Amino acid sequence: MLKADHLRKAFTSVVAVDDVSFEVKRGEIFGLLGPNGAGKTTTIRMILNIVRPDGGLITYNGLPFSDEFRKVIGYLPEERGLYRKSKLVDAILYLAELRGMERSAARAEAYKWLGRFNLLDSVNRKVEELSKGNQQKVQFIVAVIHNPTLVILDEPFSGLDPVNQILLKDILLELKEQGRAIIFSTHQMDQAERLSDSLCLINRGRVVLEGSVAEVKRRHGKNSVRLEFSGDGSFIPSIRGVAHVLMYRNAAEVELANGLSSRQFLEQLLERIELRKFEILEPSLQSIFMQVVGNGSKNQHGGAG
Amino acid sequence: MKKVFIIARWEYVERVKSKMFLISLLVMPIIMVSMGILPGLLADQEEEMTKVIGVVDPRGSLANLFAERMQRGYTRSSGEPLYVVRPLAAGRDGDLERVKKKADEMVMDNQIDGYCILGMPEMNDVEYRSKNVGDYRIPIRIEETVRNILAEQRLVSLGLDPILLDELRSPVNVRSLKLSRMGEEEEAGFLHVFFSAYVFLMMLFFMILSSGQLLVRSVIEEKMNRIVEVLVSSCSPTQLMTGKILGLSGLGFTQMIVWGLIGFAISSVVGVTLLRPEHMLLLVLYFVLGYLLYAAIFIGVGSPVTTEQEAQHVTSYLVIVLTVPLVLTVPALQNPDAAWISILTYIPLLTPTMMGLRLSIDTPPLWEILLTVAVMLISIYVAMIAAGRIFRIAILATGKRAKLSEMVAWARLRE
Repeated sequence: MLKADHLRKAFTSVVAVDDVSFEVKRGEIFGLLGPNGAGKTTTIRMILNIVRPDGGLITYNGLPFSDEFRKVIGYLPEERGLYRKSKLVDAILYLAELRGMERSAARAEAYKWLGRFNLLDSVNRKVEELSKGNQQKVQFIVAVIHNPTLVILDEPFSGLDPVNQILLKDILLELKEQGRAIIFSTHQMDQAERLSDSLCLINRGRVVLEGSVAEVKRRHGKNSVRLEFSGDGSFIPSIRGVAHVLMYRNAAEVELANGLSSRQFLEQLLERIELRKFEILEPSLQSIFMQVVGNGSKNQHGGAG
Repeated sequence: MKKVFIIARWEYVERVKSKMFLISLLVMPIIMVSMGILPGLLADQEEEMTKVIGVVDPRGSLANLFAERMQRGYTRSSGEPLYVVRPLAAGRDGDLERVKKKADEMVMDNQIDGYCILGMPEMNDVEYRSKNVGDYRIPIRIEETVRNILAEQRLVSLGLDPILLDELRSPVNVRSLKLSRMGEEEEAGFLHVFFSAYVFLMMLFFMILSSGQLLVRSVIEEKMNRIVEVLVSSCSPTQLMTGKILGLSGLGFTQMIVWGLIGFAISSVVGVTLLRPEHMLLLVLYFVLGYLLYAAIFIGVGSPVTTEQEAQHVTSYLVIVLTVPLVLTVPALQNPDAAWISILTYIPLLTPTMMGLRLSIDTPPLWEILLTVAVMLISIYVAMIAAGRIFRIAILATGKRAKLSEMVAWARLRE
């Protein structure tokens, strides 16, 4: 659906995006992650053709950007705002028409979405009379009203209360079911972990992690296991391939070296002791993020010196 | 093209609906009309108070006559005199200073509004002393009265009938006719020409200013709330800019048409014809050209701006450029053939206003009209291209303001 190849964008003083490549597929939620100032927004702007890349290529279904493409993308910018003095429905219709919708069709869709977000009472109110959260919902409607095949959302959850976060999450999953591609940027890792199928982690303009969530976790997991047992566990540290053990009386946290899979480890345990609990500790994206971003900056530092 | 129309319609409709627009639509003409008429109306009002004026006449020959003439000569419509003149003790040469001192005290005590000293040092010198010298009518009337008395006395001393004076003073009527190249004659005085030139300049001035500010403000609003990102992902920056210019000029022209109709109504009631039709067409042409040029400049200069305050700052410079022709109106009318006027006509920023000025004096030769239109078209083209390039980059820039050198670099940058 969308392919970014070796994107590069430099501003006068900094290289904002350096050699970034990724691919987003149909029916996939793609998380664009990274700390503040990593180059997420610049990347999004390049995808939207707002900013032209200095190098690299962006293709949509194999084709370069064209006017046709403007009709099939939807965008929620990070900083929120709408025409404050205008009526809610007018602002929505204007932006929908600019995306190429007919006014009547846009009106019908607008009412459908406003109903979904419980905003029908406010249709004829001015945007500035709405709460921040409600304004954000209106902006989300603007991003999806024209049935785009690629939806780009910059920090879509920030500013929403828990109820609306769930509503938004449900809608994103629905859009995904309908086969649309969704790119969303965030620095809330738990959100990314729960929602995205694939992700791309950018730090200082460079890709530091890329791939499906499961794959990333596998690659960066420490392969740790927590167990509770009865019987004598003193043999555990001596099992071949066990890198590190934290022993308690009837429990242990074990870090496995690369040669030993958790399954092999489990089989060996079952021969010797009775297990009450065996839990594979999955690293959270949060911890991977911290680890990678932390290392990344250290490496860069070392490289420079 | 369709997107340009959608943007233009949005900019137009959203602003036409706003209260601010309605207010400016109605308030501006009221202010203009009242600025033109009110001071005259107020000044021409009848004086409500009868004023007491003292008169000191050291020569002793004029005081009574003066008092009588002032009291009888200037009356309210009800017949009451406007001035009561009290002869004060006529000081002989030596004690004039003493009399003045006493009279000054009377003025300060509000016993009299003021007093005049006649014939000092020469017969035709008058000194008027008062706390308030703002009422310009008093000195004029004193002068008139004294002049008449002296003239009459002179006539009598020559053995002539003082009635002659009225004959000598009968007014001469000068009728000025404006000859145009077409060989027609048209009744027009300085005031008439001045008025029509001024109306045109003021209209152009206010329209460029108000819609230029709207233009800048609408760009800033979209920049600040980042809608601009949604917009330029929906359409190209050029479409956005064109749509904005069209929409807001539609707004400006709506304003002009309404004001024009009001002006037309007023002028037909008052009975002045302002302009001939072919001049009207040329004026509209220069109006549109001027508007487009300034719109491009406002966009180019205004789009890098990030806050309202900066916008005001930037537009105030443009206001100065715009006021130049207003200041030049009177000298240009008095000396329309001066070389500097032709030279200024070819400075694009001044062309529309200078031509407007010249059109209300006389129709310039055809080659000048063609040349100025060509100059305008070229400058509009250049300005639009430059503005478009700056706009494309500047609308996404937030934070610190762009330096002039950066803007020049943007303007030179091609795709």
